[in-house]
Amino acid sequence: MSSEMKTPETDPSKLPWLGRKLLWLDNTRNVGHIIYALLILCAGLVAADFMYHKHSYLDIEDIPGFYAAFGFLMCAALIVCARVLRVILKRDEDYYSPKDIASEAYPEEQLSRETIND
Amino acid sequence: MTDLFPPFLIFIAGALLLPLVPNGHPRALVAVIVPVISAYFIWMMPEGMHGQFTLVGQELTLLRVDKLSTIFGLVFSLAAFLALIYAWHVRDTIQQTMALLYAGAAIGAVFAGDLVSLFIFWEGTAIASVFLIWARRTEGAYWTGMRYLIVQVGSGVILLAGMVLQYNETGSMAFEAMTLGGPATWAIFIAFGVKCAFPLLHNWMPDAYPAATVTGTVILSAFTTKLAVYALARGFAGTEILIYIGATMAIFPVFYAVIENDLRRVLTYSLNQQLGFMVVGIGVGTELALNGTVAHAFASILYQALLFMSIGAVLFRTGTARASELGGLYKTMPLTMIFCLIGAASISSFPLFSGFVSKSLILSGSVHEGHYIVWGVLLFASAGAFIHSGIKVPFFAFFAQDSGMRPKEAPWNMLLAMGITAFLCIAIGVYPDPIYALLPYEVVYVPYTTTHVVTQLQLLFFSALAFTVLMRAGIYPTELKSVNLDFDWTYRKLGPALIKGVRSLISSVWGALIGAGLRGVNFGIAALERAHGADGLLARAWPTGSMVLWIAVLLGATLLLNYM
Repeated sequence: MSSEMKTPETDPSKLPWLGRKLLWLDNTRNVGHIIYALLILCAGLVAADFMYHKHSYLDIEDIPGFYAAFGFLMCAALIVCARVLRVILKRDEDYYSPKDIASEAYPEEQLSRETIND
Repeated sequence: MTDLFPPFLIFIAGALLLPLVPNGHPRALVAVIVPVISAYFIWMMPEGMHGQFTLVGQELTLLRVDKLSTIFGLVFSLAAFLALIYAWHVRDTIQQTMALLYAGAAIGAVFAGDLVSLFIFWEGTAIASVFLIWARRTEGAYWTGMRYLIVQVGSGVILLAGMVLQYNETGSMAFEAMTLGGPATWAIFIAFGVKCAFPLLHNWMPDAYPAATVTGTVILSAFTTKLAVYALARGFAGTEILIYIGATMAIFPVFYAVIENDLRRVLTYSLNQQLGFMVVGIGVGTELALNGTVAHAFASILYQALLFMSIGAVLFRTGTARASELGGLYKTMPLTMIFCLIGAASISSFPLFSGFVSKSLILSGSVHEGHYIVWGVLLFASAGAFIHSGIKVPFFAFFAQDSGMRPKEAPWNMLLAMGITAFLCIAIGVYPDPIYALLPYEVVYVPYTTTHVVTQLQLLFFSALAFTVLMRAGIYPTELKSVNLDFDWTYRKLGPALIKGVRSLISSVWGALIGAGLRGVNFGIAALERAHGADGLLARAWPTGSMVLWIAVLLGATLLLNYM
């Protein structure tokens, strides 16, 4: 994610307890750590494939890391395809208006917009 | 008339009673108690055919109690209970009563033993539910509700046609297992398919569900489509075409879910996709696969409701469910975030969450029957579900870029409803035996094996890795304020445009024809005028001499012709 957008200042004491405890997620360095953890987990899971006897129905399942490769490739393909599809399918929000809710605001009287500063 | 008290009557009684109770906590309490009583009644009902009576020569069965109808009756009661806690703060009488009538109609339908009562409840769900969309009270919601109603009532009318044809063919109105063949079974099949959101019949759902109120969408997500799954499981188990329909359903909405901006619509596409898994299970039709369908319906009602609840809470507090406008809410709505993550983990089938113990029954069911390609498609669909509902929804609502919004945590009733639902999602995942015991067939399936856990984790973590890599590389589609064309474009834009085109073509052709005709008539009149008018050739007074001259010419010509 780009970090150009400035995070608005928030008084941590106004946050709920759990929210305060999770503030470390705001730090980009910690996000980097999470990604490293994900990488290590992925590596560990592929390594685990060599350490037990797989009960499989299909030969293809027996390839070590089959599910890993399948997951990665399929998701990458899915995202790329979806992105291409959007070029064709995307329209403005008011494309169907006024007979559609996409460009409407949610009726204010049915909301309860309270903020932590209230 | 009936030996057992039909549970749907409890909902109708509740809906009638509700407006008399003071609006506020007392009324909300009465509404929440109704599904509890219904669940108790359903639990106590002995198996068999009950509530049979004859109406104008037709043998009707209000209560067919067996394991299949009971589990759906129970999960519908549970869903109504949770949704009504979530809607505790709602003071809109229409929404309160219609929610009860809707749940009641759905429960009535799953116990219906004949097509006539099924039809009545089928239409009941359509009519009651549309008010949850109209309750938003905007112009867009009004039109969306109209479209929804046309499709839903249309489904009922097709069912009615199928029922009449069926009666003509077999002389029976019983709702039993059918084989696709003549027009009767096809009509019934398509009626079920519309409500089940088969591909290309699905548009009413992503159109209408995000248009309902905050609480309305949660209620809508549980009943209509799962009722259709029940009806298909009852009527068309083992129908092969369902395997391919279901497989298409499981992948086709994934792409839309990835690019959609409105998170409640993302969840609607993911709901559509989860139905695909269930439809495959029905198509495979073995005991294992049917168990999988029912278990998955049970689990998915809960996690889908949980996801809709969490995004609904965000909408309730911020006024938007658009991914492009949200982000960073974990700081101020951490509990809602955690509940959303639990729903996300459940739909993604993480071990220890409900999807893991239900979806795998369907995948095993299909692979055991040799449907390897379908199995691969479903595996892809599982990874896709993780991308759009497991990662995208919580990521863009609660993390991603800080939107600067600092909404307060969801109100207590929403947190309570989400808390119970989240607890159930985990409880089913950790200890599936009670759910397995409720399934229609005996379960000989162990979800927690090393192979299953490791392979599933591989699939999920590598999907997450793909998301991370593509996000970092800037390839993942950014969230934009937009709508995406789906098949409903054909009847919302193309159809009207065609009609408009045909209309203008006809009117211009008509205009041209009329114009030409008028010109012809005018010409004729003018010609007559020239010939017979006041100064016309034939109306003039001619001198006698010219007549004599012309007669002489005529006689001369005759003479000439005679000699030739």
